[in-house]
Amino acid sequence: MAQGAVAADAQYDYDIIKKFAIMALVWGVLGMAAGTYIAAELAFPFLNFDIAQITFGRLRPGHTTMVIFGFGGNALFATSYYVVQRTSQARLWGSGLANFTFWGWQAALVIGVLGYLNGITDGKEYAEFPWYVDVLIAVVWVAYLVVYVQTLRRRSQPHIYVANWFYLAFILATAILHIFRNLAVPVGLFHPESYSLYSGVQDAMVQWWYGHNAVGFFLTAAFLGMMYYFVPKQAGRPIYSYRLSIIHFWALSFMYMWVGGHHLHWTALPDWTSSLAAAFSILLLMPSWGGMINGIMTLSGAWDKLRTDPIMLFLITALSFYGMSTFEGPMMSLKSVNALSHYTDWTVGHVHSGALGWVAMITFGSFYHLIPRLWETRLWSTRLVYVHFWLATIGIVLYIAAMWVSGIGQGLMLRAFDDYGNLAYTFIETVQFMHWPLVVRMLGGVFFVSGILTMCFNIAMTIRSAKLEQAAIEAKIAAKLAGAGA
Amino acid sequence: MADQSQQKAVQTTGHAWDGDLQEFNNPLPRWWLWTFYATVVFAIVYWILYPAWPVGKGYTKGLATTTFESADGKEVTTHWNTRAEFIRDMQSGEEALKQRAYLVKVGSASYEQVLNDPDMMAFAQSMGRVLFADNCAACHGLGGTPAQIGSYPNLRDDAWLWGGSIERIEQTIRKGRLGYMPPFGKVLSEAQIDALANYVLGLSGNPVDKAKAAEGDKLFHSDQAGCYACHTNSAKGMYAQGSANLTDQVWTVADVPDATDIKDKLARVKAVIRNGIERHMPAWEGRLSDEEIKLLTVYVHSLGGGQ
Repeated sequence: MAQGAVAADAQYDYDIIKKFAIMALVWGVLGMAAGTYIAAELAFPFLNFDIAQITFGRLRPGHTTMVIFGFGGNALFATSYYVVQRTSQARLWGSGLANFTFWGWQAALVIGVLGYLNGITDGKEYAEFPWYVDVLIAVVWVAYLVVYVQTLRRRSQPHIYVANWFYLAFILATAILHIFRNLAVPVGLFHPESYSLYSGVQDAMVQWWYGHNAVGFFLTAAFLGMMYYFVPKQAGRPIYSYRLSIIHFWALSFMYMWVGGHHLHWTALPDWTSSLAAAFSILLLMPSWGGMINGIMTLSGAWDKLRTDPIMLFLITALSFYGMSTFEGPMMSLKSVNALSHYTDWTVGHVHSGALGWVAMITFGSFYHLIPRLWETRLWSTRLVYVHFWLATIGIVLYIAAMWVSGIGQGLMLRAFDDYGNLAYTFIETVQFMHWPLVVRMLGGVFFVSGILTMCFNIAMTIRSAKLEQAAIEAKIAAKLAGAGA
Repeated sequence: MADQSQQKAVQTTGHAWDGDLQEFNNPLPRWWLWTFYATVVFAIVYWILYPAWPVGKGYTKGLATTTFESADGKEVTTHWNTRAEFIRDMQSGEEALKQRAYLVKVGSASYEQVLNDPDMMAFAQSMGRVLFADNCAACHGLGGTPAQIGSYPNLRDDAWLWGGSIERIEQTIRKGRLGYMPPFGKVLSEAQIDALANYVLGLSGNPVDKAKAAEGDKLFHSDQAGCYACHTNSAKGMYAQGSANLTDQVWTVADVPDATDIKDKLARVKAVIRNGIERHMPAWEGRLSDEEIKLLTVYVHSLGGGQ
């Protein structure tokens, strides 16, 4: 065993992973706190205090950018650099370039988010970055691809592990999505504004081709890569089915690209485009579930671990939410269901069952596995991992349930008629109805943020104790050396 | 241990990464495979029924159809599409038909007929409420009472700036209104404004400085301030100008009822005299149909104090 002979941090580049992991948590706290705050604004509008920078419209893209690209993105950089090294048994290629991906990515986030708060935005959901940040991201992303592929080429294993396929698909697809969504001509060299290459309904179609594949490749495929490494590692068992992993990988990659149109049902989008997307969304159900089955079945025969290992709880709960939201998604993409759900909080709840339940939970679980190994120590407190798990789970359940009530309730109210064939409710009445669900949703957010703060404390204490242990060992060695010398 | 690892070696693909990462080679779960096939069948049926695949410059139309009536009264059958579905729903949907029957009835009836017919009035209340909330409530408040006195008139009290008869309400909705009072801050001295405020507050029975009020009275009816021109000699205002009646206890711009004491009341009235008023109600003709304007008129008339 080659890796047994050398200390892990000498064989692998762990410094870059540590940096990304810590920044993932920093952005996570900022992004989730911002999310909870705008949730509070929706329930209690006076909370915007008439300060333009913190009104919902400005803070919301800040929230989505910080959680998706800040928390999610940094977590993906961290875990992908870890997984590609461990499964290739090779050191990361080009440490300078890898460092560039770190600083470039953080710079893009800082410039982007500060811009949003001050009204500088492209106004395209999840692609609000102005053109100069788009250029920076494109350069960072190419560097990421080079580092990743070059490391894979260095591998001392004949086969490429499945997790790497998913990470690679994510990197390639994100490059394509980012570039084509953001094709634009800047108004001037010193202007943040730019003209999009697309107009009208075509721009809308490109937007949701981008938007839904950002969900598909950034928030699904990439985190499946994370799952394919950390679930079997933590369970200490082989992946359930290699065959299933191949089939669902290709099916997922192929199907996802078609479904963006389901965000534009009942609009100016041509009918054929939207029914094509709806049917592909149904086709996507089983390929999505392939990943869930492979993850959950990996634990078959070792279910008792759920009773003793809180990290496993995170990972399996994440897969359960993944399964639930990838079932809900195809249902919502049917035109008749969409007619009720679209433009209501049901959509918001659906996104968060994926974002909190799947993306965040799988990241938390993976980080609890990863962080002690990076710093060569043990978690400071397992008890706090349980605390985090329950805070997060209660938060998600409150969130999703509140959004179902709010969204389905509003959807039903908007289509209710009275005895005269008139609308039974006014728009503002549906908003008044949403007040209490919105309060509960905000509480869900408070629970979830408390959870990640608990995690940050636990991780900080873990790193601190690792440093203390290291210092103690060094002191012992020094004392021994001194003793031998005397 | 040896047995176990041997057993694993039989079942896995034989690859190992990072020490202990391995893969079993289990077959695809049957239920997974069959459900996947079922979704394939669903997709194919869906594509056969509905517009789905682009072909050249057109697209496959699908077998499903929608039938509706064209503008010139002919029955049209087309391939299923959302525009045709919408037209059909509005033409023959159960709720749409109910609403249409009432709209036709209200459209051809006079205001008098509507006001005296309980059934049409019930319809007007039902539709007017939603129309009002979706179009008017943003300014006038849900139910016709704004959140606070000042920016927008209250429609629930007996006081009308532009008149509360059916005809005047309809005209207000149809054409909009411009409520304007010039600012007197640069025209009059502070002492004169103070005198006017005392006079105006005295009109509605507030305990004011008698001497100042008398001075204000003179000023009010003088050509220097010219207040009487719009508010009239009796200070009761007139609908043609949208000028307020200053003798009642109703306040539409200065929030006098909310004032803590007479000093505060004076300050609020003086601010209005000093700064003037510019209020604008948009015209709804063209944005709402004639039937909708009629229903809104009846609804607003019924809110309170209709004349």
